[in-house]
Amino acid sequence: MPLWHWLKTLARNLARKQTVEDDLNAEIRSYEQMLVDERVRAGADPSAARHEALLELGGAAQIQEGVRDVRLGATLQAVGTELRQSLRGLRRNPGLTTLGIVMLALGMGASTVVFSIFYAALVQPLPFRDAGRVVELTETRQERGINQASFTEANFWDVRAQNHSFEEIGAYHYDEANLTGRGPAEKVTASFVSAGFFRALGVSPVLGRDFSYDEGGAGSADRVVILGHRFWKTRLGGDPNILGETLRLNDKACTVVGVLPPGEPWINDQLYVPFAYRANADRGSWEFGVVGRLARGVTAEAARSDLQGIAASLARAYPKDDKGIGFHMDPSSTWVASDNTRRALWVLLGAVTFLLLIACLNIANLLLARGMARQREIAVRTALGAGRARLVRFVMMESLLLSGFGAAFGLGLAYTALRAIQALAISGIPRLADASLNPSVLGFAALIALLTGVLSGLAPALQAPARHIAAALRDRDRQTGSRGQGRLRTVLVTGEVALSFLLLVGAGLLIRSFTQLTSVNPGFQTENRLLFSVSLPNFYSRNGAGKQFLDRLFERLSTVPEVVAAGAVSHRPVEGGDPGMAIDSSSGEQGAARLAAPWAGWRFVTPGYFRAVGLRLIRGRTFDENDKPIWGEPGQPAPLRRVVISERLAKRIFPNVDPVGKHAVLWKGQGNLDAEVIGVMADSRERGLGSSASFTVYLPYGPNVLPGEFVVHTRGNPLALMPTVRSIVASLDSNLPVADVRSFEEVLQRSVAPQRFNAILLGIFSGLALLLATTGLYGVLSYSMSRRTSEIGLRVALGANSRSILGMAIGQGMRPALMGIALGAVGAWWLSRYFATLLFGVKPFDILTYAAVAALLLATALLACYLPGRRAMRVDPAVALRIE
Amino acid sequence: MKASPPVTTALLQGTLDVLILKVLKLEPLHGLAISRRIAQVTGGTFQVKPGSLFPALHRMEEAGWLNSNWGESENSRRAKFYRLTKAGQFQLKEETDQWTRISAAMASALETA
Repeated sequence: MPLWHWLKTLARNLARKQTVEDDLNAEIRSYEQMLVDERVRAGADPSAARHEALLELGGAAQIQEGVRDVRLGATLQAVGTELRQSLRGLRRNPGLTTLGIVMLALGMGASTVVFSIFYAALVQPLPFRDAGRVVELTETRQERGINQASFTEANFWDVRAQNHSFEEIGAYHYDEANLTGRGPAEKVTASFVSAGFFRALGVSPVLGRDFSYDEGGAGSADRVVILGHRFWKTRLGGDPNILGETLRLNDKACTVVGVLPPGEPWINDQLYVPFAYRANADRGSWEFGVVGRLARGVTAEAARSDLQGIAASLARAYPKDDKGIGFHMDPSSTWVASDNTRRALWVLLGAVTFLLLIACLNIANLLLARGMARQREIAVRTALGAGRARLVRFVMMESLLLSGFGAAFGLGLAYTALRAIQALAISGIPRLADASLNPSVLGFAALIALLTGVLSGLAPALQAPARHIAAALRDRDRQTGSRGQGRLRTVLVTGEVALSFLLLVGAGLLIRSFTQLTSVNPGFQTENRLLFSVSLPNFYSRNGAGKQFLDRLFERLSTVPEVVAAGAVSHRPVEGGDPGMAIDSSSGEQGAARLAAPWAGWRFVTPGYFRAVGLRLIRGRTFDENDKPIWGEPGQPAPLRRVVISERLAKRIFPNVDPVGKHAVLWKGQGNLDAEVIGVMADSRERGLGSSASFTVYLPYGPNVLPGEFVVHTRGNPLALMPTVRSIVASLDSNLPVADVRSFEEVLQRSVAPQRFNAILLGIFSGLALLLATTGLYGVLSYSMSRRTSEIGLRVALGANSRSILGMAIGQGMRPALMGIALGAVGAWWLSRYFATLLFGVKPFDILTYAAVAALLLATALLACYLPGRRAMRVDPAVALRIE
Repeated sequence: MKASPPVTTALLQGTLDVLILKVLKLEPLHGLAISRRIAQVTGGTFQVKPGSLFPALHRMEEAGWLNSNWGESENSRRAKFYRLTKAGQFQLKEETDQWTRISAAMASALETA
């Protein structure tokens, strides 16, 4: 019954509005009439009675409004009406509407794009079951200053067997293989994983099965392989009947037993092959990534102390390899983004927030300006009984509508922009490909649309209720708008300028550090260098086949007229990995004073490598064909080992002496191989431009150590040489894929892609911010000048010259700009501390950047002030005074 | 009523409802009569202005506590009369109980303090 009653009332209120209103009106009239009657009966004369009755009644309109407000469905109805009115209002002001929507669309589009990237990179959960229990384990040798190193194979199996804390521990070893038999030969990632690896992560194949624990052992006859999701989708067309088919990897047939789900990290390689326990596993070489799944109820602390116990027993059992061993455990939450990436994304998110805030301020400003022009309309509404709440809602509705439209267009923009960014495939932003306008992102967009609407409507809405109805109604035109409103608008513009300053400084610093980064001397030459890789399968290391292959390849290359030099290295600079060793001079007396032997990256190279990559020899000589690899042939006496070291390393381990001819200890503390230093090579930044010049040890290649990364110095465009290279390689062995073809410059560019991305994005945001702030400044000043037209006219009439008028205008306009710049500088100085680690070669408080930004802002502010100022200057006193 | 400080508005609104229910319990009345009767029963403490009365009446009618129809006043004017419904009587009982409890509690609190 109550529900029925409620529905009936609601229906009546909404559908038979006129009847309801008429009824109310009649009721009020009758009330009034009875009041008059009452007075007359008390002896008043009729006209006085009517007057008193009206006084007691109050305004009929206000009563009606009061009843309307409590009626069922009142809000609904009012909102509907206001929505229509607001839409009409927006249509009447196409300029303002378009401007507002464009500004908001830009701001919200930018925010949505950044948030979708942010979400994919940092918020989206890992694709692992119960990821909170998944950890990564690394070995440490604290006393040698090694805080994180991969596992050795033997240590992995020992930890797996001895621990009491983990449900499962799995190991991963990156590897590549040549895939043949399906189209042209192709190099694919085919990483080794222990059978429990995917179980430790908590990943189950979407198709087929996981590896079983007996697979991958030396005894098992069947080779099996699990496919990565993307490889299955793109390379094999998502074939649902792939299970049981064979793939030829390094010329061996492997049976497909499963397909992984999509996701990152660890499970995004192309192929996975199992490896099983073996008794003679290596304990010296750190090559395995290890993940573990904590058993239910085991805390990280308990697991750590368990690992500590294992470390102690390993160190006792294997003093040669495991002296000082320890283990480090990281929760899986640290996997996706490095600290710096995380920080960079936060900075971008902060930047778009500022941009959006500026857009809000600008809209608020526009609405305020219009609110002043509408003072009369609002006064009339108040007189007709609109309450304060209703007026606020009315003004708010407009800004909400604007932000709603802005959000709609912004989403369109975001969609396009995100596609474009993904097409650039910027390396270094984790899970960029996964970024999409998913429900969370859409929710975020809706939330910011609402916030933006409320925020930009807040100031105008609070200003809306006219305080002096009579004055507002009397006022004929532009003279309305109190001083307070003008001041509020100035404050808003000051805020815009300050926020723009922040963004511009951020962008300036990132751009500066990017140019610093790219102007660093990497040591090697990148111009006209072609990089490609050919990985030689194992059988090439038998009977010198590999060396023969390399010799013939270089011989053929040297006959090509475009080739200046060619060489090969085990790990290509910048993106090729960085295996290392401890190295020291073998004469103990210098080493004794030092704490630890330096850690140096090692590469084995062909003699032609240095010339091909453009490294300069500083002392001694480079390798020639007589230098043998440091690892001798089995059964042969140890070779005379010779190495070339980089300049910084030479200075470090042989201070003040000529290193050429001196002996060094390689793999100190592990293999302790003695080697003679025959040359010193110029330093290079092997780990990329952002890292310092590396300590590097170059080792000679040989029949059993075959480098697979090739560098060719070309005349002209390096990539143009590729067809020739492919045909040469194919003529030597048609089953060898040529992979990772890039120009060296491209490699370098890719390595700084995240920095470039950040700089460009922040540059765009700050450009937009500057534009918005300038429009805001211009708008406020030109409005205020037009309001002061008659005053200016009077000044001119009284003899002020146009110069002083211009000066006055610019002075008024520049005040908020200067204030904003000052505030922005303080804010930027305060915020820049969070920025420091993203910068390269620039201090967070870089005077040059701050000065340039201030100058830029001042210049645009001057321009924004000059135009209205010039208009004021040309005011004709006769016309201006007549306006009154 | 209008001069009351806004802090007490909520309390007074509740008061108005219960007073209206109370005066309508005896007989159906039109708006002005309700206003005058309230002034009378409260000894002039509550002067209900139309600006408060009309919204209250309409709200209570929509809540189903009152219903209304047009009739003729004591002085032969057309007027809208309000009467209590079943739900309104129930509501009055509820609110009366509550007010009794509150006023007893307030009285004892103020005496002992």
